Amino acid sequence: MVDFIKRDKNDIFSRSILGFLFKNQKFLFTLRVIVSGLFFYAIFLGINNPAKENLFTTALFWSIFWSFFMVLTLPTLGRVFCGICPHGFLGKYITKFGLKKQMPKWMQNRFLGLLLLVLGWWGVYYIFPGVYRTPLGTATLFGVMTIFAFVLYYLYKDMSYCKYICPIGTVCKAYSKLSFTWLGSYKSACGECETFDCAKACPYNLKPFTFDKKNSMEDCTLCMECSSACESISFKFKKPSFSLFGKFKSLKVEIWAYILILASIPISMAFHHGIGRTTAAKDMIWSKTAQTFEGFLPSYIDSVGLFVFIYAVCFTVLSALVGMFIASKILNKPFKDTFYNLGYSYAPLFIFASLGHALSSFFTRGYEKIVEGFAWAFGFSIDVAPLAKRGDDWLLIFSGFKWLAIGWALVILYRRMKLIEANKLRKMLAFPFAASLIVFYFGVNQYRAYISEHYPRGGGMHSMHGGGAMFQSVPANKAVILQKGENRESCSVCGMKLAMFYKTNHAAHTQGGQTHQYCSIHCLIDEQKIKKVLLNDIKVVDTKTLKFIDAKSAFYVVGSKKKGTMSMVSKYAFSKKSDAQNFVKQFGGRILDFENASKIALRDFKAKSIRVKPIDTLFFSERDPNAKRMRGMGMMHMARGASNRVPTRSFWLVTKSINRPLCIKNAYGKFYALDRDGNQIEPKISKKKGCTKVTIEVPNNGYYNLYYVSKNDTVLNVSKYEYKRFSHGSDEKFSKEKIEPRVLSSVGFEIVRLRENEDSFYYRLSSADEVKFLVLKDNNPLKSARVTFKTQFGWQKTTRTDQDGIAKIKLIQDYNPDIEKFNKRFREKFILTASYKDKEKLYKASYTGTFMPSRDSYASYKYALFITILLLIVMSVGVFIYRYRVQKPFREVKFDEQD
Amino acid sequence: MSKIKKAINYMDLRKVRFWVQILFFVFFIYGGYLAIDLGNEMPIFSCGYNRENGGGCYFLGLQHQLARPWDRLFGMAGIGVLTGFLTFLVWFIVFNKAWCGYACPLGTLQDWITSLRKMLKIPYSSYTLEQYKFLKTIKYVFLFIVIVFPLLLGLGLLNSEWRGAFCDMCPGRLIVPLFTLDFSQWYIDFSSKTTLFLTAFGMSFTALFFVGSFIKKRFFCFFCPMSAMHYIFSDWAVLKLKKDGDKCTKCGDCYNVCDMQIKDIADDVKSKNILRDDCIFCMKCVAACPEDDALHVDILSMKVFSSTKGGFTKRMEFSKDEK
Repeated sequence: MVDFIKRDKNDIFSRSILGFLFKNQKFLFTLRVIVSGLFFYAIFLGINNPAKENLFTTALFWSIFWSFFMVLTLPTLGRVFCGICPHGFLGKYITKFGLKKQMPKWMQNRFLGLLLLVLGWWGVYYIFPGVYRTPLGTATLFGVMTIFAFVLYYLYKDMSYCKYICPIGTVCKAYSKLSFTWLGSYKSACGECETFDCAKACPYNLKPFTFDKKNSMEDCTLCMECSSACESISFKFKKPSFSLFGKFKSLKVEIWAYILILASIPISMAFHHGIGRTTAAKDMIWSKTAQTFEGFLPSYIDSVGLFVFIYAVCFTVLSALVGMFIASKILNKPFKDTFYNLGYSYAPLFIFASLGHALSSFFTRGYEKIVEGFAWAFGFSIDVAPLAKRGDDWLLIFSGFKWLAIGWALVILYRRMKLIEANKLRKMLAFPFAASLIVFYFGVNQYRAYISEHYPRGGGMHSMHGGGAMFQSVPANKAVILQKGENRESCSVCGMKLAMFYKTNHAAHTQGGQTHQYCSIHCLIDEQKIKKVLLNDIKVVDTKTLKFIDAKSAFYVVGSKKKGTMSMVSKYAFSKKSDAQNFVKQFGGRILDFENASKIALRDFKAKSIRVKPIDTLFFSERDPNAKRMRGMGMMHMARGASNRVPTRSFWLVTKSINRPLCIKNAYGKFYALDRDGNQIEPKISKKKGCTKVTIEVPNNGYYNLYYVSKNDTVLNVSKYEYKRFSHGSDEKFSKEKIEPRVLSSVGFEIVRLRENEDSFYYRLSSADEVKFLVLKDNNPLKSARVTFKTQFGWQKTTRTDQDGIAKIKLIQDYNPDIEKFNKRFREKFILTASYKDKEKLYKASYTGTFMPSRDSYASYKYALFITILLLIVMSVGVFIYRYRVQKPFREVKFDEQD
Repeated sequence: MSKIKKAINYMDLRKVRFWVQILFFVFFIYGGYLAIDLGNEMPIFSCGYNRENGGGCYFLGLQHQLARPWDRLFGMAGIGVLTGFLTFLVWFIVFNKAWCGYACPLGTLQDWITSLRKMLKIPYSSYTLEQYKFLKTIKYVFLFIVIVFPLLLGLGLLNSEWRGAFCDMCPGRLIVPLFTLDFSQWYIDFSSKTTLFLTAFGMSFTALFFVGSFIKKRFFCFFCPMSAMHYIFSDWAVLKLKKDGDKCTKCGDCYNVCDMQIKDIADDVKSKNILRDDCIFCMKCVAACPEDDALHVDILSMKVFSSTKGGFTKRMEFSKDEK
């Protein structure tokens, strides 16, 4: 121990002010008392007053402790926060009176603390958003942590909690390696020391006089106890992150801290908040995965957040491991050595970037929150404006920190690569691979920038519960629910979640005095005009303020580019005309009042169906012509029936063109159906909105026939549809009988598609096939009946049946899109009509079906053969040459000179 | 009893194997003509694209089954997947990897190509140990494609062009149907980039198959994901290849006859179960072993075919006669 030492210039203790700040124990004690006081006061307030007005609790923890004490000081001054941490401060006294036990082996694992931070804090942050950001959540978290910490301090010696369990202890240790301060000692004095007062003074049982030699400050929390015990202790300014440029004993957990923190903060944030707040969010892998698992996960968790977190961790860890693995192979060193040595280059990535974020959010939000929060906590009321607005140009400086982080990481990597003993060329080759995580981080940043430049912000993906981001949606807690009852959060007509379509919500009082809330004007009109329920006091949500306003005085923007709810024509209401006009400017549409908007909404209920004459051609469609195409609504998949039920299939009787069929109002004819084996079965017929739907059971693989017959004295009109049911799932064996064409003899006039030889369950008609149609009248082949074949794209051919009643049609290929858009499974629709007239009657029949592009139009035998033969030749020759060279090495030919 | 045992132990394995292979080949390739159908869960590359097969490769069905949307896959459809898998397992555990050495049509074809090469008196090639170690890992990559890609498809991460991705890449799809004169699989599909890549890969792999199996015995089997799949379940199999390390003299005969260049068969004197992931269970090693009972094939730990001094010398005489 020495009482005086001549200090170096760069020693902080040699400066009057800085020395006082860092070394004066009285000052430090006061500071610690203040910080602890604030800490417990914030916890107390958070529990006592968890209302929104409590800005103090969150401001203290998230805007001061996290932003300043952690993010700002770690890469600069080092672990100074640990020096004033309330846990450590009080812990020191608790340990003194504690049981001083040895911590059990399993707890002496620094990964515990890291996992606590990554899963317990960040994992929860993403999975249950908003839990911690509330005053109560924050207070509870820190309160529980404090009790937990104090118990461990009491039980175990040497402040083991700080070392192993403290969630930020390990992280602090890891990131403080970047700092430009260093606690060391003067060799001249320490060399002769025999008392080791610094080590005795250390509450963590460390030996500060060995720090310089080890190039590691180990678990030093800069409490400065040692510096008051002995003057030989120095606290110096050094080059930034200088310790990383030298050798030291690497600690696995530090590397993992860098990687996992990088994954859980900047990468996850870039995914969740950067990309997640644009319209591109729904196409991202995590959203898709979340959608898939939607059903399996409980509804109170944010599945998107969960998968963002999982993917971010996976991608980050993978890119670090893979890159380092390749680098280690190139360097020809064990993977572990390479990874845990070069891994220190990851250190700046998170902390520098986060520094930029912390600073910019201090100017935009933090300052305001801190000042107002403190004022509130101590009984004042101050209202300050933030120092900067989001989007101010000068804030862009802070985004530069990211690039600093990347550059700095590469510098550290370079310096650490230098320490490795290997061939220079190998090092050069290994460098880009070792930098894989840095490159990955760069890539994510670039991608995020690209996305936010090219995709508009929209939808607040994470605020919504899974699903696609929609303009209409608001978070469930923001939606005002007026109705009561068990299903209050769902539309009273269609049952859709109200919050998801909140911006188009309507509400009204019924005669009985109940309040009904509707997802949109569509459902309102449904109840009011279609179901004829008397409604009064109709209200609508103002798209701008999200408050309910009187619908009669609202301004509806109809037909804008923003998608509507339950309707192809969107309708958004505003209370102010100026807001509506602004909306029109941005997204188009026109402004109408409620009366006219509801008239337009009523149009959606008018089914498109027409009356037909007996001779009009009718046919069956597998799709409801009036069904709305619901695109981008993943959560509305069709309910599947229980699997033990017999599968059914529905068809709609339609007319007009195959492309845009229309329903038929006056379908008064008869429906028949045949099962696969030709037995007549009973079709189920239902009429709705002017459409006629026929449903049949299709239990087996094979063809099912469907007929619609209308006849009067002069016309017999038969529409026929052959539905092929084929399910891979059933193990049914194929046999010819199962696909035989069936005939309903009682009909009297019908078209039969004859089967080709290769016809099977798998068989589909395709272009270039010649299809044979047989026309039967009274079950006999009918010759010279007029047959017209027409495809979806308009190609048409008329011919007559031959002697055997057969009309042969060669399918052409008129599906010719751009090769990029070519779909080899495109099913082109066709319709075949046959007509025949004898003295008393006109006979008509129709048959619809589909065919696909022929394989010749996208598959090439020629190229296949060519490639194979070419490769065969090349490889054979290659093998031959190789063998020739191996077996007969070049030999010098000697000429006999006598020749 | 001992007579039968002696007859088996003294048999000319090559001839027996040759005829068994032909039998199985006809059975699996032309089984459809004979109204034979063992289902589509066979643990061999008897391609399902061959309409006349007597039992199809399990991977075709497996890939289709696993490609179902996840909500269905983990619902009722999962039962179908499970029964399919159990059927596969039942088939497999009967013969273990002997399916490869005796029943697989693609394997048999490679053996025929090898005999052709022998007739032409062209020497064969073999891999160095390094190459061998690298190449044998490829089959696990293919197995990954067989199992994980359909799952990703069901999850919606891959589009439907990847349905049956391995089949598109597999030479079996192109070669096996040829025996029923079906050339329809020989095409390159230009309809999308994915199919273009997959089918072109398949064609190239086929060319490689012919050249490779001509100069290297059982060339394709190094890459066969079915072989990898077998190995995972081979511990449960009834038929086992065992080695008695105490009796082994490390003469290396077994290694020399091994088509798959498995070094452990000669070097490893510690393991009892000597079946390795590349093994095709052709039993040539047992036939080539000159020590009594050093190598033996067991059914439920009952020796059915053992290496014997007598059998070894007898077989040596056979081959002398041929020369």
